[in-house]
Amino acid sequence: MPSALFVILLTLGGAGLYLAMPGGRFHVGRAALIVLLGAAAVLVSLIAPLAGPHEHGLWLALLALVAVVGALRVITHPRPVYSALYFLLVIIAVGGMLVLLDATFLAAALLIIYAGAIMVTYMFVIMLAQKGGGPAPYDRAAREPLIGVATGFVLLAALTGRVLGAGGELGGAPATPEASLSNIVQVGARLLTQYVVGVEITGVLLLVAMVGAITIARRRAVTEQEGEFR
Amino acid sequence: MLAAYLLIGAGLFVLGLIGFVTRRNLIIMFLCTELMFQGIVLNLVAFGRYPLDGHPTLDGQAFGLFLLAVAAAEAALALALIVLLYRYRDTLDPNVWKLLKDE
Amino acid sequence: MLAQASTTLLPLKLYATLPFWPLLGAIVVGLMIALRARAERAWWPIVATVAVSALLAMVFVFDAGRITAHESGGEAHATAAQHAVGETSREVAHAGEGSATGGEWTPEPARVPGKTITLFRWISLGERTSLQGGQWIAATFYFDSLTGVMIGFVTFVSLMVVIYSIGYMRDHHGHPERGYERFFAFLGLFVFSMATLVFAGNFVLLYLGWELVGLCSYLLIGFYYPKPSAAAAAKKAFIVNRIGDFGFALGIFSIYLFVKPLTHAGENPLDYAVVFHYIHQLAPGQITTIGLLLLCGALGKSAQFPLYVWLPDAMEGPSPVSALIHAATMVTAGVYMIARCSPIFAASQAVLNVIVVLGVIGAVMAATMAMAQFDMKRILAYSTISQLAYMFVALGCGAPDSGIFHVYTHAFFKALLFLGAGSVMHQMGHVIDLRKFSGLGRILPHTRNTMLVGCLALAGFPLLAGFWSKDEIVHASFQYHPAVGVLMLATAAMTAYYTFRMYFLCFHGPTRLPDEAGEHPHESPRVMTIPLYVLAVGAALAGYLGVTVAGGAHSFLGFLRPHGLLHHYLHGSTIIVDENAHAGGGLWLMYLSALLAIGGIAAAWLRYGTAPRVDPDSITLGRLWSIWNAKYYVDEFYDRAFVRPLRGLGRLCFAIDRNGIDGLIWVVTAVPRGLGAGLRLIQNGAMQTYALGMAIGVTALVLIWRWMEAAGG
Repeated sequence: MPSALFVILLTLGGAGLYLAMPGGRFHVGRAALIVLLGAAAVLVSLIAPLAGPHEHGLWLALLALVAVVGALRVITHPRPVYSALYFLLVIIAVGGMLVLLDATFLAAALLIIYAGAIMVTYMFVIMLAQKGGGPAPYDRAAREPLIGVATGFVLLAALTGRVLGAGGELGGAPATPEASLSNIVQVGARLLTQYVVGVEITGVLLLVAMVGAITIARRRAVTEQEGEFR
Repeated sequence: MLAAYLLIGAGLFVLGLIGFVTRRNLIIMFLCTELMFQGIVLNLVAFGRYPLDGHPTLDGQAFGLFLLAVAAAEAALALALIVLLYRYRDTLDPNVWKLLKDE
Repeated sequence: MLAQASTTLLPLKLYATLPFWPLLGAIVVGLMIALRARAERAWWPIVATVAVSALLAMVFVFDAGRITAHESGGEAHATAAQHAVGETSREVAHAGEGSATGGEWTPEPARVPGKTITLFRWISLGERTSLQGGQWIAATFYFDSLTGVMIGFVTFVSLMVVIYSIGYMRDHHGHPERGYERFFAFLGLFVFSMATLVFAGNFVLLYLGWELVGLCSYLLIGFYYPKPSAAAAAKKAFIVNRIGDFGFALGIFSIYLFVKPLTHAGENPLDYAVVFHYIHQLAPGQITTIGLLLLCGALGKSAQFPLYVWLPDAMEGPSPVSALIHAATMVTAGVYMIARCSPIFAASQAVLNVIVVLGVIGAVMAATMAMAQFDMKRILAYSTISQLAYMFVALGCGAPDSGIFHVYTHAFFKALLFLGAGSVMHQMGHVIDLRKFSGLGRILPHTRNTMLVGCLALAGFPLLAGFWSKDEIVHASFQYHPAVGVLMLATAAMTAYYTFRMYFLCFHGPTRLPDEAGEHPHESPRVMTIPLYVLAVGAALAGYLGVTVAGGAHSFLGFLRPHGLLHHYLHGSTIIVDENAHAGGGLWLMYLSALLAIGGIAAAWLRYGTAPRVDPDSITLGRLWSIWNAKYYVDEFYDRAFVRPLRGLGRLCFAIDRNGIDGLIWVVTAVPRGLGAGLRLIQNGAMQTYALGMAIGVTALVLIWRWMEAAGG
């Protein structure tokens, strides 16, 4: 793995992302997107060999491409609705990867909760806050994109450099799952034995969040412009 | 094999971070935190599946489930707050709220 | 040894409470202020407590004489002190025996004839182990006949002044002035301070009283503090006194320094008794040092040349305060202190000479200045300086008993004159300029009558109080040196002249009134005139305690001789009298001084009897009169020589402080301030900026971790 190529790729990706951010100084969004997608594709092609002799290597590369491209679009798309839909794409890709990792129950839960519950809430709020006449002004321009992107990519380089430095030897051999029991049974047993307190606390957390959300949402706000209850 | 998942997780996490810092829409910002969660879930489960010490574990998946619950709670509260803020100022721009300073 | 009970009428512990009564009164008034009681009632605690003190003092005068006679061990003196009237048992060379030899005078060994009362242990001296050795400065009172004389007239005159103040501090409708209760509280404190000073049995307690008196004078001179001139006068009095007190404090330090090595265990080197006992074992230079430093304090407190400048300005206070300061509680302190320390002063002829020279300068200067003033109270103030200078001359000539005699008589007539001037001022709407009114004798008959007695006494008119005491001082000064005597006589004539200049300008001539006096000025209320009459009686008769009725060729007018009960009474105290000091002059001198006094009064009558509008002296004397009127430009000289350079120094220090030191601090603080100003921009309240900062921080941490990993291999 030539590190120079890796650095160039990351730099390219960062530059492309910077250009693709909404409200970038140069109106070259499409071109930047193409550069970005190319960089992402090369990156995935780099990742694919890491999958090595694994039988799911192709699937993994595909899912990774979907996830990364989806994530890019989530943060670059000027319309929140599209961002949310791209995020759905990311969820599905991650779910797929979880299946590849034999975490079938978690994958199902992810899809159900995110796609089914959380994203619907997001959609509601986005629709609620939507106004006619194209994207809102604050959606059209990013905030300090250069320093944000640069920081992010330096961090990415630091993290991935460490991973790639270790090479394919990182991590042990894939453990064979215990065929006798299904994944859901195993996870359930683990949750209700070792993490039973955590489960209880999570339940309380959800309850509190529900009560809090209701309380906050029911509060009447005084708008500064109108100075009266709404 | 593990390295591939770690790279993807890192990518998702960093993209979420960049989005959180640069986007000027409260909803997108919280969406970006969800993005970062995805990277983390991927990390946790991958480490459980390809353990460094050779003993596979389900702890990663258990944590992933907790993470889901927390994400759900966070989404409910954060969105409620966003709705409230939106009602106050009629905008989703976080920069109109600059109360976190000493004056 | 007789039992103590038989020697004193009242227990000594009871006398020890004397100073604290006025303090109690002041505290009661303070509580009344705190409780917002009516101001009109504020006089009674002070009057009552000062009256208690005065009554105690009257009894104490007898007991102090007994104690002194008893403790000094001289049976002859004891009997003399008790039945002195008509007896001349002292082996003093009397005025008539002018041929008595002068020559070198060796002081007799110091006696310690008083009783020391220890109130409580106050300050521990030296190292811890000395606590067992009894090395304490205790709060001690020292009772002897000198204490008796002083406390007697101090409390009596104070009582009169306090009673007078009840009426004086009110307007024409009888409503109390603003600060009425404050005034009385300060008066009580003043009397307490002076009584402490007089009773003090060691130098530390003396210093405490000394400073308390200074504080009270500051408070009372600045009583009308919204007036800038009053505030300035108060500050001036305090600061000039501080200059003297600095020397006084150094004197006390040097006493401790020099006497300490001589003392044995259990002896406090600051107790009067111990100091006086060991004083002759000191080197002459040491004694002179101590004497000059103590004198420095006395010059400030008793307003002597060159530290007299505060006293005329002290007229800014209410008139009763002036009376109190001039007669009883302030300026007498210096004379008292020198008399008390006469074992020290008598041991150094050099210091005595200095005292005489300063006294003569002060007497002549102040008398001439008094001749060219128009402010009634200022004339009296310069006269006080002049009279105090007389006392200093007496002290310096080795006749401290005469000095004390003059303090005592002076207290009566000077208090009387000030209270009389206050009465005039009160009725003239606070105008005291002699050019603005005249012929007040018809409007203020009681004031006029009593003032006349006071003026005669001050002028040294024969048979009144001032004559006797002044005459003794003149005698002593002739014995010291004829030139000093001549100057004293000249001053006496001038005193008569300016006193009656003031009197005639005020009470004689056509009746003129200032506009401020209102339509119908009238005599002051009785609460003011009665103290005037009491003091007038004192001014007339107080001197007879110091003379002896005896016939013979050497008697004045055939039946009076100098020296009487007072001198016998004082004889046993710590006062050391040069027995030759009273030998100077002769009977002719008494007649001469009487003649000069009458001559001065007559001259004043000729020139001022009709209260002319233009001062005749200013025409006759011309330039000289202008210099006197301008007070020899001493204030201006001090201003140029000391005040301005010091103020310049102060400005310089201020500038250095403001620009140099503050600038340095500003530079030092500029670094963090600049950093803060820079960092403040980051804290802009926007959440995403903080998130970005967090991201940068995490990135930096990961980079550091990678770098350390790479470095660690």
